[in-house]
Parts: sequence; structure tokens; C-alpha cells
Amino acid sequence: MTFKAPVESYKGKVAEVTIGKGKRAVTIGGENVLALNQAFDEGAFPHPPKIALEVWDMEPQNWAPWVLEPYKDVAADPAAWAKRCEELGADLVYFYLISADPNEKDTPPEQAAELVKQVYEAISIPMIVYTTGNENKDPAVLAKVAEALSGENLLLGPVIKENFEPIANAAKEHGHCVVSQAPVDINLQKELNVKLSRILSGDRIVLDPLASALGYGIEYCFSVMERTKHVGIQFQDAMMQMPVIANFGGEVWKNKEPKEREELGIAWEEVTAINYLLAGANIMVMRHPEVFKIVKGMIT
Amino acid sequence: MLLIGENIHIIAKQVSDAVDKQDKKALQQMAKEQADVGVDYVDLNVGPARKNPEIMGWLAETIQEVVECPLALDSTNPLAVEAGLKVAKWPPLINSASGKGESKERMLPLAAQYKCEVILSVLTDAGIPSDAEARAESIMETAAYANELGIENERLWIDPILLPVSVAQQGVVACMEFTQMLPDLLPGVKSTIGLSNISNGAPEEVRGILNRTYMVMLERYGMHSAIVDAFDAELRDLARGKLPGIVEVIHKVMDGEDVDPASLPPKERDYAKTTKVLMGEILYSHTWLET
Repeated sequence: MTFKAPVESYKGKVAEVTIGKGKRAVTIGGENVLALNQAFDEGAFPHPPKIALEVWDMEPQNWAPWVLEPYKDVAADPAAWAKRCEELGADLVYFYLISADPNEKDTPPEQAAELVKQVYEAISIPMIVYTTGNENKDPAVLAKVAEALSGENLLLGPVIKENFEPIANAAKEHGHCVVSQAPVDINLQKELNVKLSRILSGDRIVLDPLASALGYGIEYCFSVMERTKHVGIQFQDAMMQMPVIANFGGEVWKNKEPKEREELGIAWEEVTAINYLLAGANIMVMRHPEVFKIVKGMIT
Repeated sequence: MLLIGENIHIIAKQVSDAVDKQDKKALQQMAKEQADVGVDYVDLNVGPARKNPEIMGWLAETIQEVVECPLALDSTNPLAVEAGLKVAKWPPLINSASGKGESKERMLPLAAQYKCEVILSVLTDAGIPSDAEARAESIMETAAYANELGIENERLWIDPILLPVSVAQQGVVACMEFTQMLPDLLPGVKSTIGLSNISNGAPEEVRGILNRTYMVMLERYGMHSAIVDAFDAELRDLARGKLPGIVEVIHKVMDGEDVDPASLPPKERDYAKTTKVLMGEILYSHTWLET
């Protein structure tokens, strides 16, 4: 008797979200199978996961030497740094407005927006713009960014339950997508998605359930991401059918072990990446170019 | 479905203040209000009462001066429970014993000694069992222990331990499965559940419908009683069979009949949506009634 593997097919489908416009547009999501199961099950994974490389709006102070080294000559120049990421083959640039945080340099919103514009004009790939999750400051910063790059369809985030309204409204007015972020909690994630969906359609929302590093609670983050996909694809819950972003580069490299040894750090980020690929991430935010190359090679 | 009124609970500020001041009137009023709306038991929760376990005796006597209703003596402290047992006029209910070592050694023997009924939860030293099977395994062991002490099944009120739907949706389904299994596992036992726990953490204005819907669902599976908010009039009406239309909608959804919530009047629609969430068919969020 020959073995016949069971073939699953599901009725739910992840929303397709396009970030950027014209030549620099990328599309994520659209799958109706679980992560990497298109070879076994009935369905399609039309847009393979994309990788964003991280750029900061101020020179990083505590990065391990081996992760800073590839960017050292450009670390104080975000536009040049972003260009470096493009040359390395990144699908998107993840631009982190850390300096805008009141606990950092408290950069004014106008200045932050101007910098985003400069960086955007220096590259020809789409851009994700993240603030630090500061409930009060983020809306002002992201609204200015939305306005400064009106119509360019950036991915702006994170929006959280305390401040989703002004940011989503700014995104709607200026034609951008937003990241809906809930703290490793699938129920709160759904609630925020429901509220956000009253302002923006599902093809303008990406979910960030938070992605911790290997050894630092990755099990919880993996489960929530995996369940999000189950609920959206298998149980057809429209409020959980947005694509997912896994933002773990910084989570990996802030830890002691990756900072002590380069090979260990590389392996750490790589294994973390593989985990989130398996959990169903549609975009991954990474840091070390070496790991980027390895993981990119796995996907394509 | 028998109702155990939960409203005299030490966590409520009004209650703890009244107990501290030994304000008999206030406490008697709270008990009377519950008895007046027809609860079958008045629960007296004094917390662990470590410093003053005798307070349960005082509280029980205070309440019994004004209401003719059996009491559920609610504390984790066996000394407090015993203080209540000593003065109880009507056959009381111990709330509660469990499979935890200390509870088996000190709480369960009280039920044997005072020949009363006792709520027995699935809790063990290992914590709350994860699913219906684990609950079954744990309760079989604890019930056997109770039987050995001379407490027969008919005096055990089994509590599956319910967690809030907002944090443990699978547990809600597990408690229902367990309730269905119970008559086969332990013939003759009664059952109860801390109903309001299901809506802990949910927005205040939607807590009631979670409690009520789940009560109807559990009743269908044979749940004998529930510890409830006695002042939820609609809940009491449902328990007394006065709202058959609502019950019918809930049962239809439970049976997997093709019920389109959008086609129902608002009230029935909300019950249908809530049933779907509590069946585990739809992921819970605080906004479940709005989608």
C-alpha cells in the first residue's frame, strides 16, 4: 500500500498588502496556506516573505562591533545607511525614529519627518517607518511623516490601542499603511484590529504581535503568530487576516550572548529568523547583513 | 439550575468595610437583597481570614438572623470554614476543597465531620489542569480520596475551575467538555462553577451577557448550580426558565445549526454571537459584539 499524504485546504486567505508605489512597490500576504506549506497543501503562497534591514535616525551606541561594522562608515548618515541596505539587497528599509523618543533626543516631529523624506529620496525601495511606541509622542511624529510623504504608501507604525486613531487617520488621509501592535496577546490584537478596521481596510494593515529573540520568550511570540495565522486562514476570521511583521533584529542583538561572539550572534539571529518564517511572518526586520544573505537565500 | 449568590465577597470594598466595622445592618441588607430575589445559597466569602478566622462564625450568625437561606462558607482557611460550620442553622455548603495537599488534609475532613456538602475543585498542587481530560484525571483522584473519608458522591459539588475567556478561551470549552463527562466519571455528583470568572477582565457593560450565555450552555450539559451575581435579573430569569426564546437561540448555535446572527433581533443576535465565541468558534476580543 502506498502512503498518501493528507492534503489540507482552507477557506481563509491573508490580505494582500502593498507597500510603496510604482516601481518601488512590494506586496506581501495573499496566502491561503500555512507558512511554507504550499508544497504539501492545496493553495498558494503568492508572495514569499520579504526582509527589511534596519536603519536608525541616530548613530547607535550599544551595537555589537560586528553588527555595526558593515554600516560603520554610514552609521551617522541615515540616507547613506539606507542606500547601503539597498545595495545589500534588502526588500525594504526599516527606518527607526528612535531619536524622536522623549527619552532619547526628543527630536521634533517636523525634523523627524524631514529626515524620513531625505532617506526616502536616497533609495528606490519601499520604506517602513517605526517610532518607539511612545503613546503620546508617536502620533505627532507619524502624522508629520505621513504628511511629508503623502501618497508614497509607507508602512507606519506601531499603532497601539492608546493611539491608533490619530495615526490611522493620518495614514488614511495621506495614503499609507499602518502596523497594528498588541503585546503578545491574540485577543487584544483582534480588538485593536476591529477598531482599526473602522478607519482603514484590511489591505492597509500589517500586524506586529511582537517578536522576541531565541531564548528570550520566543515560544510565546511563535505561538501567538502561529495562532494568528490559524485563526485567519483556517477559521476565516477576517479581523486576523492581515499579514504579519516580525521585528526581531534588535531583540536578538541587545542580548549578552550575541554581543560576546560574532558567530554566536549570527547563528542567534538566523535561528530566530527561521522560527518566525515557520510561524508565518510576511516581513522580517533584520540587522546583520550576513544573516540577511543566508535567510534571503532560504526564501528564494 | 441552583444559584449561589456571590455578592458578599471580601474583595468588594463595601463588604470588607462592613466586616471591619462589624456593621451588621449593612451585611444583613446585602444578604436580604439576595434572598429576596431567590438565590438558593448565600455565599459568604471572608478571604483567607488568617488573623481572625472566627469572623466567619460571626458573619454566618449575623446573616442567619435575617434570612432563611443556606450558606456557602467560602474561605481557603479551614479554621474559618469550621467557625461557620459550628453555627450554621441550615445544611451549609463548604466552598471549597480541592486536590491540593493541604485542602485534602484539613478542609475535606470538615465535610466528613460535619456531614455537609462540599464544593470540590479540580485544582491540585500542580495547578489548574489544562484540558477536560486533565480535569477528569485530577477530580477522579480527589473524589476517591473524599469517598475514603466517607463523603459520598452525592455530597460533592464538582467545580471545573473556570478562567476568563479573555485570557483562556480554550479553557472555557474545556469546562463544558468536562461538565458533559462528569455524570459518567462520578455518578451522583453535583456540580458548580464560579460563573462570573468568565467575564473577568471584560468591559463592565458586556460582562453580564458572557455570564448569562455561559450559564445556559452549561445548564444544557447538566451543570447543577453556579456561583453568580445575584443582582443580574436577566440571569435569574434565564435560570428560572422565563426566557425560552433566548435559550432556544443559544441551543441552536450550540448544535451547529446555521444561525445567522444578522437575521435576529438585537438581543438574540448578541446571545448568538456570544455563544459562538464561547463555543470556541470565533476568537474572543472585547469587541466581539461589534463585529
